[in-house]
Amino acid sequence: MSKTFTKSMARNIFYGGSLFFMLLFAALVFDSESSLPDTDNRQAITEEVALGKLVWEQNNCIGCHSLLGEGAYFAPELGNVYTRFGNSTEAIKAFIASRPKEGIPGRRSMPQFNLSEKDLNAVAEFLKYSSGIKNSNWPPNIQG
Amino acid sequence: MNLSRPDNERTSKDAQYLQAATHDRIYPPGDLAIWVFILAELLVFAVFFSAYALTRANNAELFNTCQLTLDANAAFINTLALISSSYFVMRAVAAIREAKTQQCIQWLIAALAMGCVFLIIKSGEYVHHYQAGINLRTNLFYMFYLSLTFFHFMHVIMGMVILTAVTIKTRQGHYSAAEHTGVETGASYWHMVDIIWLILFPLVYIMR
Amino acid sequence: MQYQSQAVAKPYFIAAIGLFVGQILFGLIMGLQYVIGDFLFPEIPFNVARMVHTNLLIVWILFGFMGAAYYLVPEESECELYSPKLALLMFWVFLIAGALTILGYLLVPYATLAEMTGNSLLPTMGREFLEQPTITKIGIVIVALAFLFNLGMTMLKGRKTVITLVLFIGLVGLAVFFLFSFFNPDNLVRDKLYWWFVVHLWVEGVWELILGAILAFVLIKTTGVDREVIEKWLYVIIALALITGIIGTGHHFFWIGLPGYWQWWGSIFSALEPLPFFMMTVFAFNMVNQRRRNHPNQAAVLWALGTSVMAFLGAGVWGFMHTLAPVNYYTHGTQITAAHGHMAFYGAYAMIVLTIISYAMPMLRGRKAANSGKSQILEMWSFWLMTVSMVFITLFLTAAGVLQVYTQRYTDNPQPFMAVQERLELFYWMREAAGVVFLIGLIIYIISFFAGSNEPEQA
Repeated sequence: MSKTFTKSMARNIFYGGSLFFMLLFAALVFDSESSLPDTDNRQAITEEVALGKLVWEQNNCIGCHSLLGEGAYFAPELGNVYTRFGNSTEAIKAFIASRPKEGIPGRRSMPQFNLSEKDLNAVAEFLKYSSGIKNSNWPPNIQG
Repeated sequence: MNLSRPDNERTSKDAQYLQAATHDRIYPPGDLAIWVFILAELLVFAVFFSAYALTRANNAELFNTCQLTLDANAAFINTLALISSSYFVMRAVAAIREAKTQQCIQWLIAALAMGCVFLIIKSGEYVHHYQAGINLRTNLFYMFYLSLTFFHFMHVIMGMVILTAVTIKTRQGHYSAAEHTGVETGASYWHMVDIIWLILFPLVYIMR
Repeated sequence: MQYQSQAVAKPYFIAAIGLFVGQILFGLIMGLQYVIGDFLFPEIPFNVARMVHTNLLIVWILFGFMGAAYYLVPEESECELYSPKLALLMFWVFLIAGALTILGYLLVPYATLAEMTGNSLLPTMGREFLEQPTITKIGIVIVALAFLFNLGMTMLKGRKTVITLVLFIGLVGLAVFFLFSFFNPDNLVRDKLYWWFVVHLWVEGVWELILGAILAFVLIKTTGVDREVIEKWLYVIIALALITGIIGTGHHFFWIGLPGYWQWWGSIFSALEPLPFFMMTVFAFNMVNQRRRNHPNQAAVLWALGTSVMAFLGAGVWGFMHTLAPVNYYTHGTQITAAHGHMAFYGAYAMIVLTIISYAMPMLRGRKAANSGKSQILEMWSFWLMTVSMVFITLFLTAAGVLQVYTQRYTDNPQPFMAVQERLELFYWMREAAGVVFLIGLIIYIISFFAGSNEPEQA
């Protein structure tokens, strides 16, 4: 019976199957793209939010925090930090700005990033925008 | 077939028939590799169908209401199309086993034509849904209905690509009464596509 | 060694092992920071240590893949490498670029590094695993192109085998999907969507092709089983890997703002992702059982069997554990994810690179087929120490994750993140202890290269 198991057929299945599922994947991604305006909160993306994303990236926030569950798991989830902090960008800004330079003895502490007022505002606005993304009600509760 | 074969070749042809007869008993038919693939595909569909059944049990009312918006007649015609195409493919295999290359090609083309009928009717249904503003995100029922049928739709296309390749290779004379694993392989895949529809059709269109 | 040009693999393998050591050291630093929060603060904050840990992992695995390709492609193609000089040049380019990047992470604040490298011109930094400055990313693309050119030209002039073909497709895919790392829209949802095109389609897509090809090569060499048989297995395994893995990408699309149907598509297909890994285990054990000879390099056989088992456990079983959407709703972004990541990466990719190094290094160092018995015994000790400690790291992280999910997500009275972290301290200490054992295993691994080098080969 193993005689009828040919290498060329196995190869064809590999190529055909891969192509098939890549096309299917592309079709689903295409459909997702067209549906994004309903969920991705794009109307909230201002220039300030875009700058906030850059500030977020250029300080490697994802190296400790998670955002919508992705990132590191060393520090709290920030996709819902805006709501957790009582729907307040001021609270977010105050927290970031008040981190001690030398840390807290024996405990985890966020570094002091010395952000300018403009960058601070921007990153808070970015986190506010992130909290508005409709992501199937994740995380399960406010604690993230 | 070349009629002017010398006698010694005819003896070897008899031997080929004998071999073909033994070949028939080998199960499963076609290349074993395709069966690994077929089993994997059946597994995917089985999981998908189970998910559908479970979700349906929890949302019976929604599923029953939305089911009424589907065109069961079109789906029924499509069922006939696929069943007949499966029959044609079966005839194609039977033909090549008797070394009737020309007939095999004709049956394969007939099967392909039935596949086209399926694609056209199904596309008509999709256009209708699209115009009604129905998409994958409308609700759970349409998510399943569109996902399952579109996934199957792509399998029909895949099956037709395979059958086309088999037809071309048959025309080029790659298969004989003794060696026609390729035809059996393509036929096996096509039967799978048909069988999945035979489950899908009652499950999604009819069962209430 | 059958072809002179295979020798270029040696520096790649040495660099891989060196960077591996760095990765583990930074892993231990992070592990300690989990329990002693101010350890090395503010000099090496956690985010820097993590970036170094994960980036070193990626770079050493890439060094390993490239070394593997340079070693096996000439042998498979039955001809010398197209240009050993280009391979050597690219080695130094990649090593220096990598070292500079790591130094950049460690010596200046990340924001300064971003400014120095002109990130604002084409912002690509600051996303998980893709933290490299844009200029480093461009460097990676150039190295990859030169590497693929070199391999492609070698393959064109020589014998074409399934193994080189699959390896090449995997490597081309690796390069192609990396291009998505240059796409970084302001829209966070789209950013994440295409970010996964790099990350998922690497580790649960094209890298599996590379893994399969290297494993198949080592099995052909060490078991003497018919190439035809092994190549069929290889095709079926990688076909299944892509059939399940491509749509399986959907298991990352559950909670990032993409349509809800991904919860179904992603769950269904990723639930089947363990299948190819299971087949790989069956494949490896089958081939070794059907072996036609006993290869003197038993350590390499052990690594090959080990990688097939650990890849199945780490990627297959631990992946399945939290891949279904209703489960993932609670486990997403917890220590469960970390547990899975550790065992999957070690089992599938660290171990396959160690497998090919174990197989090839004796020849690259001028032996006929294998190291001395003494060296092999040490290597096997290192195998067991590293593998068992990785199992324990995974188990402790899983325990931490379960407790975290319960207290922070599942109970009626959810606790804040940091309060929960304090309750996990015991597990984090145990993880760190297991990590120290891992480092001991790694040290023994390195010693095994120098022990018994004057003694004759094991027969």
